[in-house]
Amino acid sequence: MEEIATRFAAYLQHRMPSASDVTVTDLNRIYGGASRETYRLNAAWKEGGAQKSRPLILRRDPVASLIETERDIEYNAYVAFHPTGLPVPEPIYLETELSWLDRPFFVMEQITDSAAGSPFNEDPYGAHADAIGEQFWTHLGHIAAADPKAIGFDKNLAAVAPDECWRIELDKWEKVIDEDELCPQPVARAAIRWLRRNAPTPASRISVVHGDYRTGNFMFNGEGRITAILDWEMCHLGDPLEDVAWAADPLWAFNNPERPGGMIARDKALALWEQASGMKIDEKRLQWWEIFNSLKGLAIWISAGKEYESGASREPILAFSSWYCTDVHNRVLATKLAVLNAEARA
Amino acid sequence: MKPEVTTVMGGYVGTLFGSILPHLNSEYSMGDTGLMAMSFMMMAQEYDRAADIRLQENEDMRAVFAHAADIIDNVGLATLLRKAASGVDASMRVSALNAANDELKAVLIELHAYVEHSKAHWAPELEMRIWSVICAGTERRKLDFPKLF
Repeated sequence: MEEIATRFAAYLQHRMPSASDVTVTDLNRIYGGASRETYRLNAAWKEGGAQKSRPLILRRDPVASLIETERDIEYNAYVAFHPTGLPVPEPIYLETELSWLDRPFFVMEQITDSAAGSPFNEDPYGAHADAIGEQFWTHLGHIAAADPKAIGFDKNLAAVAPDECWRIELDKWEKVIDEDELCPQPVARAAIRWLRRNAPTPASRISVVHGDYRTGNFMFNGEGRITAILDWEMCHLGDPLEDVAWAADPLWAFNNPERPGGMIARDKALALWEQASGMKIDEKRLQWWEIFNSLKGLAIWISAGKEYESGASREPILAFSSWYCTDVHNRVLATKLAVLNAEARA
Repeated sequence: MKPEVTTVMGGYVGTLFGSILPHLNSEYSMGDTGLMAMSFMMMAQEYDRAADIRLQENEDMRAVFAHAADIIDNVGLATLLRKAASGVDASMRVSALNAANDELKAVLIELHAYVEHSKAHWAPELEMRIWSVICAGTERRKLDFPKLF
């Protein structure tokens, strides 16, 4: 930790030429960020005769991770949304030069006096569940309503056609399973076949898709206000219903269909999203994205297991998610697909 | 091994949560320790049932293959199914049961994909039977997760 603090202080000194005596203290690795190493720290320096300080977050690329992602696309999501009023931390620096911390990283504002709820808690928000749920789904509606080009989100991203986004995502995650499965996966393979046989109607529009919008990936304060939407590492352009389905996935907060993610009732959640996004939910298309997202989850957990088994990483979270989350998503998908296939035969 | 492995695992979980975790001063180490403790709980469940789950699943798949081999209209696949159905689990080692399970699941995937596309009169019932095996397997493997954090 001390070495990272010293090297990061040198980096800040480089980025702030008018500052002097830069120090980094209270550096602590935050638990949970399985796709990047995330550190919270306090930076202090002298500038213009005054002593200044700022709490910061450092997100460094990992040696191996749960999800392989491009940090510049994640960083750009913060750049695009920060000026819009959506609660995201202010992005400060993106650095790809390896000499500073051996791996690429970016720096952003640290949101203080807030915490994230655990996705493995039945009631992660307690008395604030209603208030947080209303904000959660409304913010997601606003993300869907944002014009990707107008806010600069589409920088470095290939254009996606409304009738192609499902195929792009399905191809991507099928490839992950092909490459990383440690044993044959009958449920995942059945899901892929079902998804291809039942292609959804085209997206009503191409939106920003957060890609991992769920319980655990946002912070809230003691008054029950969402203060930061985080973990944009899987963001992309696509069908906004992809995010709706992921946010409502049964894995988060123990498969409570009445309160997806441990927040508000599903019907109310979807109505709030429709109101904020200005879009109407097509139930059939949403169902496709729900099956897809449980498959995407499986792909992530399968990949995590491969990372652990191969020795690329021995982070306990990789083994844990490969065991527990695979178990949940296999069961969720098998139950749903058995019914859907029986209905199709009837 | 006495005390039973499940008892020891449960004890270790208590030690990790009660005696070790509160004395750690790094958030990351606390997170790792908590996850390892919960993984121990899952290991304890799996230790007791691992062989039984795999044995049952392998038998279920072989029964479906034997049934399917007699009714499907694909000679090559029927031959593969008969061969897979004729296997036996001679060793109760989990590694041996896993190896057999992997081979059987690869055949199950092939059969499942074939049946899904079939319009034959036997296809709906066989497809339901395959789903029944898959669903039973996912239920058997269900891990009771301790709702702790």
